[in-house]
Amino acid sequence: MRNRSFIKHYYIMLLPGFLWLLFISIIPMFGIAIAFQDFNPGQGIWKSTWIGLENFEYMFSLNDTKTIFFNTVNIAVMKIAGNLIVPLIFAIMLNELRLMVVKRWVQTIVYLPHFLSWVILSGILLDVFSYTGPVNGLLNILGIEPVLFFARADLFPFIVVGSDVWKEFGFNTIIYLAALTGISPSLYEAASIDGATRMRRIWHVTLPGLRTTIVLLAVLSLGNVLNAGFDQIFNLYNPLLYSTGDIIDTWVYREGLLNMQYGLATAVGLLKSVVSFVLIIVSYLLASKFANYRIF
Amino acid sequence: MGKKMVMVGMMLLLAFTSACSSTGNEENETAENNSTPGVVEEGPADPFGKYDQAITLTYGKEVDPTDKSLPAGDTPENNQYSRYVKDNLNIDTKVTWQAATGTNYEQKVNLAISSNDLPDALVVKDTQLRAMVKAGQLEDLTDAFNRYASPAMKSYMEKTNGVSAEAVTFDGKMYAIPSIQVHSDGVHQMWIRKDWLDKLGLEPPKTVEELENVAKAFVEQDPDGNGKNDTIGIAGQQNGGRLYANFLESTNNTYGLDPIFGAYKAYPGYWLKDDAGNPVYGSILPETKEALAKLRDMYANGLIDKELGIRKSASEPVVNGNAGIFFAPWWMGYGPLPDAIKNDPNANWQAYLLPLDDDGQFNAHMGAPSTVFVVVRKGYEHPEAVIKMLNLLIRDESKFDISVPVGHYPLRVPMSYMDESEYSAKALQEVLAGTKKPEDFTDPGYKLLAADIENVKKVKKEPYDNMDIQYWDPQADLGVWSRIYSLLVGSSSLQQDYNKVYSLLYSQTRTMESRWSNLKKLEDETFLKIIMGAAPLDTFDTFVSDWKKQGGDKITEEVKEYVK
Repeated sequence: MRNRSFIKHYYIMLLPGFLWLLFISIIPMFGIAIAFQDFNPGQGIWKSTWIGLENFEYMFSLNDTKTIFFNTVNIAVMKIAGNLIVPLIFAIMLNELRLMVVKRWVQTIVYLPHFLSWVILSGILLDVFSYTGPVNGLLNILGIEPVLFFARADLFPFIVVGSDVWKEFGFNTIIYLAALTGISPSLYEAASIDGATRMRRIWHVTLPGLRTTIVLLAVLSLGNVLNAGFDQIFNLYNPLLYSTGDIIDTWVYREGLLNMQYGLATAVGLLKSVVSFVLIIVSYLLASKFANYRIF
Repeated sequence: MGKKMVMVGMMLLLAFTSACSSTGNEENETAENNSTPGVVEEGPADPFGKYDQAITLTYGKEVDPTDKSLPAGDTPENNQYSRYVKDNLNIDTKVTWQAATGTNYEQKVNLAISSNDLPDALVVKDTQLRAMVKAGQLEDLTDAFNRYASPAMKSYMEKTNGVSAEAVTFDGKMYAIPSIQVHSDGVHQMWIRKDWLDKLGLEPPKTVEELENVAKAFVEQDPDGNGKNDTIGIAGQQNGGRLYANFLESTNNTYGLDPIFGAYKAYPGYWLKDDAGNPVYGSILPETKEALAKLRDMYANGLIDKELGIRKSASEPVVNGNAGIFFAPWWMGYGPLPDAIKNDPNANWQAYLLPLDDDGQFNAHMGAPSTVFVVVRKGYEHPEAVIKMLNLLIRDESKFDISVPVGHYPLRVPMSYMDESEYSAKALQEVLAGTKKPEDFTDPGYKLLAADIENVKKVKKEPYDNMDIQYWDPQADLGVWSRIYSLLVGSSSLQQDYNKVYSLLYSQTRTMESRWSNLKKLEDETFLKIIMGAAPLDTFDTFVSDWKKQGGDKITEEVKEYVK
């Protein structure tokens, strides 16, 4: 009896999330039909003309499609790598700090940008990297010619990845710090008695202790490979940067909403969904295999 | 963690589809049922007739976020203009949603179209009008227009030789009320700091070569005298702006480089006739390549704003007094110049039809007379309401207190004779010179002229024929100054002869609906890269062949059919 009511509570707690999922994610799925239609908003999904795979054919004939898929994967993979490695190094460095006050302060300060939206941050970035901005001021002191960062397609992915890592590493550090508390201090004591230096202790105790967390985060981020960050790129880019900076989401937004190419944009969005779906399944399989991770 | 990821994943994947999936079927069906007009009354009706019972009209509103002119207590929904409409016509105007001027507003309209969630009336642009007609979302305004349009509105439309009527007529039915804009909105002139020229002992540049020299002097010789190397020769468009006006957006291209293209007889973005009389797209012609080569040169030499196409706000260097030259239509007195003279009362911006081409001629690509349209949702009970509101606006605009911009008038679109600004400028000059009297101008179609004549001496100081900024008194009434300065400085130059180039077509053909956005993107990207040195000049040739292959040839054929 006690056991059953316990379960009931769980279900009630699940309800808001389930409703959210239903209304925000499941019901809008019917919109996918647009990918197979010459969509007419006046007639709605039920009455619009069905045109089969025509949108997909046009999609694959466009040079853009290759570019945006490449850009998306390129930027996302770099982001995933950066967001795994930088916080890891940072967490280990923080962990070695003796002064708790300093540690807390540092932790809080690097955590802050996580709470700012890209609309605000992009404005700051555009100023900082502008032709007359502080970064070029610094280059000027070093005797380097000013660089028009937002006209350089070759630099753009690095600005995107760099600023994303800068924004998020404080937040991601916390996951590692939490995992670090799980490592038994006796291991460190034993290591130092055996004469291990600080670097040795990190190498032989800390890193192995974090291994499952690292593997788990790496594997789970697989499902995100096609999400390279709409908010950020949309607020930073311009036509000069399309060749390396245009990603699936920004392209779908431009074609679908601004140019009213509903069918084509939905087709591209659908392709992205399908690929992402496969990747999510794969990442869960891998996660449960290598990190013993399960949702239920 | 895991569930969050699934949700976030799905949300992102479907973010787009959700925007389009509210089907709105029920709504649409009721709309169809209602749309058959029950009783069709015959004969003309009173264009200014007040409704016995108050009616409600909902609309989406474009607001300028920098506009602080509304008095305390007034809102974009409830202000002197909406109350004027209520008092005179008994129409309650309600704002369903509002969005910032420009792209934001366009996106909001697109969203309303794609979700079929429309307010009673909207101001839309050509591509949106076509999409809405195709989707069957609009009320047929033919009868309402015939019965309710005021004689002034009808005469404005007639003056366009049927072009504006054609723009809104589909299968013989009129689906929108077109704006009728002064054609000077399409002529982009050179605005230049005359005080800088004077200081450096220079003349307004007549040719592109002279323009280069002046721009060079502006960049290198510290014309603002602050001892810093911080001046820009020629200001350029902002991120999202246009390098030049095109056939779909043919007017009011502020900060574009249009006149420099014109000096090379290049009209990118326009449909022209080649020597054999066949339609050809201006952007793929050798003249355009020539102009691009020159612009690339000028940019590399630092004469054009380094942050061309990247800046968030193109007006910033003009307002801050850092730029010496920019290109824009006649109405710059409305903005950015009021802010520029607030920062520096000596900023003597003057307008010229320059630079000239090899033959000594100024070439201007001309805009379409109608670029924005008022549409009414299918099934709205009072389609004539918007026509009455526009009638009222045309009749009474000159009486309004324009310290609150007339953009706050619900569903306002510009409507006037197409030569209004030049005609008014000439009239003002003649009145100031004393060669004509205010009574000589009686055509009520020039709706603001009487007020302009009355106000001109408030802000223009003697000598009346010298337009330099020191002979103006903007402080007396900035609202009046904006208009009169725009007319006397911006429109006066348009009285001289210049070469007017029209596009063969100002709207989309069938294939353009699906292919144009891709071609346009190709064009924007390539041209900007060429000018800014991110791609070699010969990329232009690749662009031309790509453009033709990716649908350009087919579209050219369609334009040929259309023009026939």
